[in-house]
Amino acid sequence: MSVAADADFDWRLRTEVYRGFADEGRAPSDEALAAALAVERDAIRAGLERLHDRHALLLDPADRSIRMANPFSAVPTPFHVRIGERRYWANCAWRALGIPAALHADGKIDATYADDGDPVAIAIANGALRGDSGIVHFPLPVARWYDDQIET
Amino acid sequence: MLFRSEEGIVVWSRRRGRTSGEALPLATVWALAQAWYGDRLRPDFRGRSQADAEAIFRRVGLTSAFWAFDR
Repeated sequence: MSVAADADFDWRLRTEVYRGFADEGRAPSDEALAAALAVERDAIRAGLERLHDRHALLLDPADRSIRMANPFSAVPTPFHVRIGERRYWANCAWRALGIPAALHADGKIDATYADDGDPVAIAIANGALRGDSGIVHFPLPVARWYDDQIET
Repeated sequence: MLFRSEEGIVVWSRRRGRTSGEALPLATVWALAQAWYGDRLRPDFRGRSQADAEAIFRRVGLTSAFWAFDR
């Protein structure tokens, strides 16, 4: 494929990855993505690597599976988000709030305070923040956010 | 990570030999999350430039050097 065709395909692939996370709370498989886009699995693998390189999503360093498409995490984390009957994970407090923001939906977030490990419960109700208070820590300045996406 | 207080962030960071970074109240982070992730599922989303990102940060009141790409 040409560079332009790759770019078009990659954005369509990205859309399908996000659709999978939004609908199922987990990363779609390569096979599901290949079926959705009517391409071979090799094309999905190549597209995911290109999307990783441009920081549109993050692949696991070991097995190259989709690890996160912010704000969604593909692996369990301490930040658990409930939107209706669907369940999601996020990598941090900010991304946990990013899930109801991305879905334009009310929801509930369960996590723990890093100070003492006590549970914290946050809700988005009619678009407004409710529940426990807290301070969110951003450890790295924005200029370094891509140094380690898992860290930030 | 989520803390009860800024003091908790300072203690946590000191124990790990790290800088304290930036601490924002949940209300500010909810405003940031809506601005940053509100369009993330749109099929026409194409990422955003550093200038667009900084505009979002300014919109929610984040104007320190921490929130600038050219520091």
